[in-house]
Amino acid sequence: MTLRSTPTRSRLLAATTAIALAFGATAPASAETLAQLTVGTDVDAGTLDPRLARDTTAFRVADLVYSGLVQLTPDLEPVPELAESWDSPDPQTIIFTLREGLTFSDGAPLTSEDVVFTFETILDPDFNAPQRALYMPIDSIEALDERRVQFNLSMPFAPLLSYLDIGIVPKALVESGHDIALNPVGAGPMRLASWDRGSRIVLEANPNFWGDAPVVERVTMQIIGNNTARAQALEAGDLDLIQSPLAPQDISRLSRDDRFGNAIMSGLGVTYLNFNANDPLLADPAMRRAFAMLVDQETIVNDIYEGVDTIANGVILPSSWAFSDEIAQPTFDIEGAVSAFAELGWTDSTGDGFLDRDGERLSVTLATHSEDPNRVQSVEYLQAIFTMAGIDAQVRLSDWPSFSTGYVQQSEHQIALLGWLNIVDPDRMLFGQLTTDGPLNWGGYSNPEVDAALQEGRASLDQEARAAAYQTAAAIIAEEVPYYIISFQGFQLFYNADLPIEVTASPRGYLRGVVLPD
Amino acid sequence: MLSYTLRRLLLLIPMGIGIVVVTFGLMLLVPGDPAAVLLGQEASAEAVASLRRSLGLDNPWYVQLWDYFTGLLRGDMGVSIFQNQAVSAIIWSRLGATIELAVAALVVATVIGVALGVLAAMRQGSWIDTGAMLFAQLGVSMPVYWLGLLLMLFFAVQLGWLPSIGRGAPLTEAFADLFRGNVATLQHALTYLLLPALALAANSAAVISRLVRASMLEVLREDFVRTARAKGLRPPRVVWRHALRNALLPVLSVVGVRFGTLLGGAVLTETIFAWPGLGQLTIAAISQRDLPLIQGLVLTFALLFALVNLVVDLLYAVVDPRIRLD
Repeated sequence: MTLRSTPTRSRLLAATTAIALAFGATAPASAETLAQLTVGTDVDAGTLDPRLARDTTAFRVADLVYSGLVQLTPDLEPVPELAESWDSPDPQTIIFTLREGLTFSDGAPLTSEDVVFTFETILDPDFNAPQRALYMPIDSIEALDERRVQFNLSMPFAPLLSYLDIGIVPKALVESGHDIALNPVGAGPMRLASWDRGSRIVLEANPNFWGDAPVVERVTMQIIGNNTARAQALEAGDLDLIQSPLAPQDISRLSRDDRFGNAIMSGLGVTYLNFNANDPLLADPAMRRAFAMLVDQETIVNDIYEGVDTIANGVILPSSWAFSDEIAQPTFDIEGAVSAFAELGWTDSTGDGFLDRDGERLSVTLATHSEDPNRVQSVEYLQAIFTMAGIDAQVRLSDWPSFSTGYVQQSEHQIALLGWLNIVDPDRMLFGQLTTDGPLNWGGYSNPEVDAALQEGRASLDQEARAAAYQTAAAIIAEEVPYYIISFQGFQLFYNADLPIEVTASPRGYLRGVVLPD
Repeated sequence: MLSYTLRRLLLLIPMGIGIVVVTFGLMLLVPGDPAAVLLGQEASAEAVASLRRSLGLDNPWYVQLWDYFTGLLRGDMGVSIFQNQAVSAIIWSRLGATIELAVAALVVATVIGVALGVLAAMRQGSWIDTGAMLFAQLGVSMPVYWLGLLLMLFFAVQLGWLPSIGRGAPLTEAFADLFRGNVATLQHALTYLLLPALALAANSAAVISRLVRASMLEVLREDFVRTARAKGLRPPRVVWRHALRNALLPVLSVVGVRFGTLLGGAVLTETIFAWPGLGQLTIAAISQRDLPLIQGLVLTFALLFALVNLVVDLLYAVVDPRIRLD
């Protein structure tokens, strides 16, 4: 989504006209540049080493400071970045050819050795790269010459291209002991000017960038932990741009304010219920389906989330090439759910208002984490609906580490509300999560047909065949409900409408569409 | 007084040991593995186990605790799991901001609290008294994060008088500039400091105003006040010079205790106003289960609190000659 704004105010910026002549060549007649762009962000980056990035700010800064072999467009299409082209002589081999004359921001040359080093360190188990699992099908990487690098895969792995936008790091510098986590050196459009931990990260244009020069000279990422405070800082004029995560209430207010331009689009995340199939109560798909019929998506999405997300129909994002509107999860139907429970033997035989079977009351625990008030409200609302249907529903709230690593990931939950982010390829949200014994399959779901479809989805290099495989898996998942996808998360970006540059939003919150010329 | 001060300083050692043990125990009891948090949702169990090994988290708790204590004796507070930097360096880089905010809030709270308390006591039963006590009730009951957002909305968004977020130059630098004849740096720093300091001070100002009012009402009925009035001293002089000095002793002890509350409140205030101090850091460290950083922060907060209370106790002896410290 590209939005054009008109310059009318010059308070925060020094709009300058770029000099049109460079060494005798004629450059575009005039292009407006921005001296300073201040962006509000929710957390400080834990590291600025792209191989170790794990938080939104680290990813967003790394995208500006580093360049990957490919770049994902806002539509998630991999396009050439450092690699000018690539070729697949067989399904398990990809050879990338780097652009000529690439350098890092310190002027050192960038070669295929740097690419090999980047991925070998990511794959090294002792390096503890958070995203290592994404690259596991890479068997080996070889530098064929200075500009060509060959990836040998242990199996055909179609999603790999979507993951190859991770930043390439300078081998010689890192091996000399330079800590790129604190002082990053990459080949992206910006470079680090200063980092005031916990307060702000200041980036400046990288004069050695291989592509067109950025139209923003300095970017300050101002860290403001509170979502509403971040929105108010934009309204006060102390920030130029903010983006998700934002509170639904602030989104509604800002989107009605014509001082701000906005980009409101589908994001790359889902909010879902994780059903624990290992739990005796939830082992039967029919039982999970009956519970799923009690999920009032309409109220959760439109009232609690104030319509910033959209109602989901299954596990494939609407922005994905694999999406199909024919996938259908169970929909909200209290009476239908009560009938389904009755068919499974759960009735109110004692007249106490709760369903029971063999003298045992139908009890279930709904859990989520306490940091997100909308998720808490959603779970409390579900508790009320469950109770109306005759289920003794309890709510369990705890902070994120207790909830995720100490509870759901230990498979101690029954029904847990949480989310997945960064789903740049359907494989990323499905393979590890829903194949038998998958590393992220915390609910212990197992279905050989789903396993086969997800395996085909990642192995086939034909996008149509992949889409068909994911749709097959999605249909079974919607029927058996190991996951119930409540909503497709929205992505929102707001910016000062007086900025004299084009703002092109990316659903990942990456800022190249803002700092680089269109 | 010197031996008293030394004794109190020595007492900080067992206190520090106790705090480390209790914090360590609490973090062991709270679910949530820092290695799993660090690696994120997509990490495999093997990757988490490998990271636990490299961080030493798979050692028995007593080994981890012993390592921490021996490190402390060498002046080493460990390395932050998430920031991969020395805990002492991280804390030191942010300590000034939090002390600046807490001290500014303490000054604001004391000035507002004493002024309101005295006025309310002087005009007991009047609308001034009612207004002051209404303010006190509001100040006590309003959560600091809510008040912070309201102040930001009014003064930064609606009126545009003050910046909504961030910190200007450190006050130490601003005062140094002032002595060189440059007022602008101080003005700039104060515009950033005012809103967070006000938000943080409101609760303490309310408590202090109630205490001053009660204490002043008692003192104003004392014989020496009547004598002073009978001697023909002007009422303001009686109140501000004679009565207030005697009414301030209980206030002094409260101010010491309030410093702890202010440090706690700073955790939330800093998050709202993007104030780069220890408070923001604490929130992040707890949510990431960054144990070495949490230990260092708790220890720092406790030492700050203990030192401020020691200073307050020493001030007692200065303010009230009847008190002897030995």
